[in-house]
Amino acid sequence: MHLDWWTLGLQTVNVVVLLWILKRFLFRPVAKIVADRQAAADVELRRARQARAEAEKARDAARTATSDIAAQRAGLLVRAEEEAEAEKAKLLEAAEAEAEAAREAARAELDRMRAAETQALTDAAGTLAVDIAERLFARLPEEARINGFMGGLVKAVSALPDAARAEIASAGPVRLRAARALTADETDRLEASLSEVLAHPVEVAVESDETLIAGLELDAPQAVVRNHFRADLDLIRQELTRHD
Amino acid sequence: MENPLTLEPLLSIGPVPITAPVAVTWAIMLALTLGSWLATRRLSLQPGKLQTVLELFVTTVDGQIRDTMQTDPSPYRTLIGTIFLFVLIANWSSLIPGIEPPTAHLETDAALALIVFAATVWFGIATRGLKGYLATFAEPSWVMIPLNLVEQITRTFSLIVRLFGNVMSGVFVVGIVLSLAGLLVPIPLMALDLLTGTVQAYIFAILATVFIGAAANGEAPGDTSSKTPSQAPTQETSNQETETP
Repeated sequence: MHLDWWTLGLQTVNVVVLLWILKRFLFRPVAKIVADRQAAADVELRRARQARAEAEKARDAARTATSDIAAQRAGLLVRAEEEAEAEKAKLLEAAEAEAEAAREAARAELDRMRAAETQALTDAAGTLAVDIAERLFARLPEEARINGFMGGLVKAVSALPDAARAEIASAGPVRLRAARALTADETDRLEASLSEVLAHPVEVAVESDETLIAGLELDAPQAVVRNHFRADLDLIRQELTRHD
Repeated sequence: MENPLTLEPLLSIGPVPITAPVAVTWAIMLALTLGSWLATRRLSLQPGKLQTVLELFVTTVDGQIRDTMQTDPSPYRTLIGTIFLFVLIANWSSLIPGIEPPTAHLETDAALALIVFAATVWFGIATRGLKGYLATFAEPSWVMIPLNLVEQITRTFSLIVRLFGNVMSGVFVVGIVLSLAGLLVPIPLMALDLLTGTVQAYIFAILATVFIGAAANGEAPGDTSSKTPSQAPTQETSNQETETP
């Protein structure tokens, strides 16, 4: 086999030169641009990973916040329920107290109305009783309406203090009111009786007053002596209508 | 028919005869230089179609180197890529009428194989150091030193013969058929030559990768079985058996 050494040498040099040329014009620039793109992609990937990590972090934070909010919400609900229960109990208590106060007021008002009604009934009964008594007393005989009370009047005057009796005796005519006009005989007897208890002769000045119904009333500046039905009935009425 | 083993100088520059393979190689170099320069003038991060093809080629070369050598491909990229590209273009140059591919001559294949041999030694020493590289010849035992030394030569020689035999035989067959039959008859054989040229370029480049990787990454010289992809030795054997004349 024949080998051309010149050609072998030239081809060797050619390939070496081609190695340098292709390294300079093909492989180095292409590899560089691939590496640059890879670097750019790595940067983007790194950014994406970073963004993903941040997103995951934000997601975890959001989950934590959500759970916190849920816990807060549950706590607020419990607290609100407790406050509502307390407020409800307070309102119920206030309502019960208010109702009790209203009941007490109504009861007091009822008692007051009952008392007033009772009073009115008592008054009416007392008035009715006095009216009945007046009507009954009006049927008394004319003589009894004066004579029956004359002794009582004299006795009451005799029970007065001495000074009062002396002043009545010295004051001039004794002023009397009678249920009817006195007869002369009745006037004489009355003057005689009074003169006896007053220890001084006296004259009487009688004034008729039918409202007395029956009896007499001595009216002096020092004392008033009543012995008649009107006074008795008024006293009875006062007793009946008195409220202790 | 012209004897494919003889070379007639086209011209002489002083005492240096310029033969057809050298001239064709210069043309290929010129074409590759111009093409590379034009293609890589305006590279950008947003690649066009041509840039995409270039990047695909470079990344494929890187991937083959990485898969075979299990290491960073950048120190070996230019050598392996240039060998593949030159052998491929040289093999396909036979399609141009009147052009005989440089790889159909022993001198070109021998030059390529010598460069691969030199690169094997260079990268072995660069990676392991001189002592470490020489120690690989005594693996697995010092008894293997003669065999390993012989293997260094024989596998380089096998690179030469494989490429030369396949390309030369293709040219020879097409020439014979063309001389016997009509114009269109050799076309299927020429298409087959395209495939053969591609396969041979791949085999040459991948074997260079295996040899360099074995020297640089701790494999004993010639122990390509564990580092070589499973396809490569099989392909090498099958090509030797079926395609080597």
